[in-house]
Amino acid sequence: MKKIKQSQFYGIGILLLLVVAFWGIFKFLAPATFGSPDKLLTYAKSALIYAVGGCGLYFICVMGPFDFSVGANIVLSSIIACNFSMRFGYVGLVVAPLICGALIGLCNGLVYIKLHISSLIVTVGLSLIYEALSVYATNGKNVILSTSYRAFGDYPANLILALFAYCLCGFILKYTKIGTYTYAIGSNEVVAKNMGVNVPKYKVIAFALAGFFFGIQSILTISFGTSMTSASNLSSMSRNFTPLMGTFFGLAFKKYGHPVIAIVIGEMIIQLMFNGFVALGAPTTIQNVVTGAALLIIVTLTTKPVKGVVVK
Amino acid sequence: MGELLLKADSIDKHFGITHALDHVSLTFNKGEIHALIGENGSGKSTITNCLTGIYKKDSGTFTLDGTVIEPKNQVDANHLGAAIIVQEIGTLSGLTVAENIFLGNEDMFISHGIKNASAMNRKAQQYLNEYGFDHIDAARSIDDYNFEDRKLVEIVKATYFNPKVLVVDETTTALGQKGREELFKVMHRMKGMGSCVIFISHDLDEVIELSDSISVLRDGVYIGSIDKADATVDILKKMMVGREIGDNYYRTDYGEAISDEVVISAKNISVPGQLDDVSLELHKGEILGIGGLSECGMHEIGKALFGASYFRKGSVTLADGTSIDSIPDAISHSMAYASKDRDNESLVINDTICENICLPSLEELKKGGFLFGSAMKAFANKFARQMSTKMTGVDQFVSALSGGNKQKVVLARWIGKDSDLIILDSPTRGIDVKVKADIYAMMDNMRKNGKSIIMISEEIMELIGMADRILIMKDGKINGEFQRSESLSDMDLIEKMI
Repeated sequence: MKKIKQSQFYGIGILLLLVVAFWGIFKFLAPATFGSPDKLLTYAKSALIYAVGGCGLYFICVMGPFDFSVGANIVLSSIIACNFSMRFGYVGLVVAPLICGALIGLCNGLVYIKLHISSLIVTVGLSLIYEALSVYATNGKNVILSTSYRAFGDYPANLILALFAYCLCGFILKYTKIGTYTYAIGSNEVVAKNMGVNVPKYKVIAFALAGFFFGIQSILTISFGTSMTSASNLSSMSRNFTPLMGTFFGLAFKKYGHPVIAIVIGEMIIQLMFNGFVALGAPTTIQNVVTGAALLIIVTLTTKPVKGVVVK
Repeated sequence: MGELLLKADSIDKHFGITHALDHVSLTFNKGEIHALIGENGSGKSTITNCLTGIYKKDSGTFTLDGTVIEPKNQVDANHLGAAIIVQEIGTLSGLTVAENIFLGNEDMFISHGIKNASAMNRKAQQYLNEYGFDHIDAARSIDDYNFEDRKLVEIVKATYFNPKVLVVDETTTALGQKGREELFKVMHRMKGMGSCVIFISHDLDEVIELSDSISVLRDGVYIGSIDKADATVDILKKMMVGREIGDNYYRTDYGEAISDEVVISAKNISVPGQLDDVSLELHKGEILGIGGLSECGMHEIGKALFGASYFRKGSVTLADGTSIDSIPDAISHSMAYASKDRDNESLVINDTICENICLPSLEELKKGGFLFGSAMKAFANKFARQMSTKMTGVDQFVSALSGGNKQKVVLARWIGKDSDLIILDSPTRGIDVKVKADIYAMMDNMRKNGKSIIMISEEIMELIGMADRILIMKDGKINGEFQRSESLSDMDLIEKMI
């Protein structure tokens, strides 16, 4: 049993079992409105978008800081994607949000490093600026993606782009110095620094990389939703939490060695819950309460933290 | 006299107003094990940390093999020929064994930005096998291994590239017998290759046995050096402390009757994998020593008695029948516990001496429901000074103190709390002779005042010298019991340990 638990596939096995369990429960409760193969593909379509953002956020959270500007980044990058697609077609749709997202991430990282203040305060403060820029870029109006450029809103292009993002994330974590240093800084920043790791540089890289992944999420978001409204007064914050839930799964299951897979399956579990409650006709408040509680229960039970261990 | 390898010339270093190194000049030769000894806070670790890039010196030069070196960090120091094995854990969780070994040197496995993980694992495994540590899998997470195995990984990490100078900083206290033997093998191999091993230890017998020459620092000042042939424990102690310190810092009384009054009783305590059906009693005014090999379970006993062992079975009860099942239970019934892992389990390392000493006594320090800074400072000052803590003031952060002074802060906390039952796990680990003598005197004094003490220790002579009764553990069980006696020898205890 101990050997099975130590297996790198143990964590994935648990997550897949949870997918089946949640599907089974909601299918039983709402057989007509939930969980048909077509509907599952729709849930997966949403899950794969949020999982891309979850991958980006993972680089930051595993080091210790946090990014509350995910939503603002996605809003601004999606608007930029939409605007540039009108001029440059698919090239504009893809390249512009990647650059925009990465630049926002870079800006977050640089301000965080230079000001020496909490990442939470930095990214909330900068979110207000990014939101203001989104209003400026749209004149406060809704932008709509042309029907000619919506391929990434549906299968197979969305899946290909998302798979590219997941593979890129896994590759960076496992096969580059950035991945090793990300974990090293997250484990003990002082020791990492003593080992010659340029901690500020790699923190900035993590923010920029996260921004790049939010750029990819923006392509998928605007293509799937087809329109985007500018944000103000931190209304973009609501977009932070779904990618963050995936990141939680990644962090909780990283000990099994496959955080990216955990993020993707974790987002699928979240989508099953959201859509399950919709199928049951539950009020939004109840959906949020149950989803939040379920997330905490799943992560607590599956990770089985050692008693007495210090969790920050 | 060997050929000169490393020259430290007028090295100076301040930490705030503390003058940690006062223009220290030292030389180290090729092919020698050179011990660096001194009291806690004497500057031993500071000078070697400056040499290996962990601290930046204020002034002075290190000349290694004819070249002046200015390492920016540990890896830079490695590239310049100097490496260090630190006292506390120096590996990083979340990384594999191989990633830990090559941290900062990944470039040798990176081509076009891509890391060849399998080549890195293979190379790391090759080194581990060469050192005889083949039970460690290079590809596995470092978190899968215990403290001692992680130290073995650190040994490989610090020496696989054959540095010209290797610093071994108080590492032996963190290792069991097997780990120590492996470390000594590596030290002798390095010496044989013409490198210099700078060996920092408080165990003077170990120092004399292993070293070719010994240098002494005191209060950041170089005192002198001595060859192995001329060194005795007494001479070294005198050089370290600046006055004669005899061997009589242990108790000298024998045959004193111990009270029949039992203050705490543990029945059938088991902790999976660590303790197996252990029962014991502690009497009023008694020092009960618990010893054994490092992994025998003795360290878990302290936690189990203090209610800090999460998987404990069996019962722990006080004289009045009160059951101790949690840390708050223990503290509220006048129990105290000083863990072996000082930095992680005993101290709030990033807080002041004042906050650390006052922490369990806040209720007593309240006046009208409020805590007053002046009262807390006066309280902390009183007990820190009682323990002769070397500090700039009680506002100083604990993280800036040496190991011995950290331990004094832990003890000052419990003396301040006036606890009746004190569990001390490895109370003199990594502590110099002068502080040891202070701690032993404090324990003897407490015993005479009717306090009861459990002293868990890996040092046999400490157990024989201080305890009224000694329990020896083996494989999670009590394997022998000895009463205090002048005729008790270390061999009697060792026989029951192994």
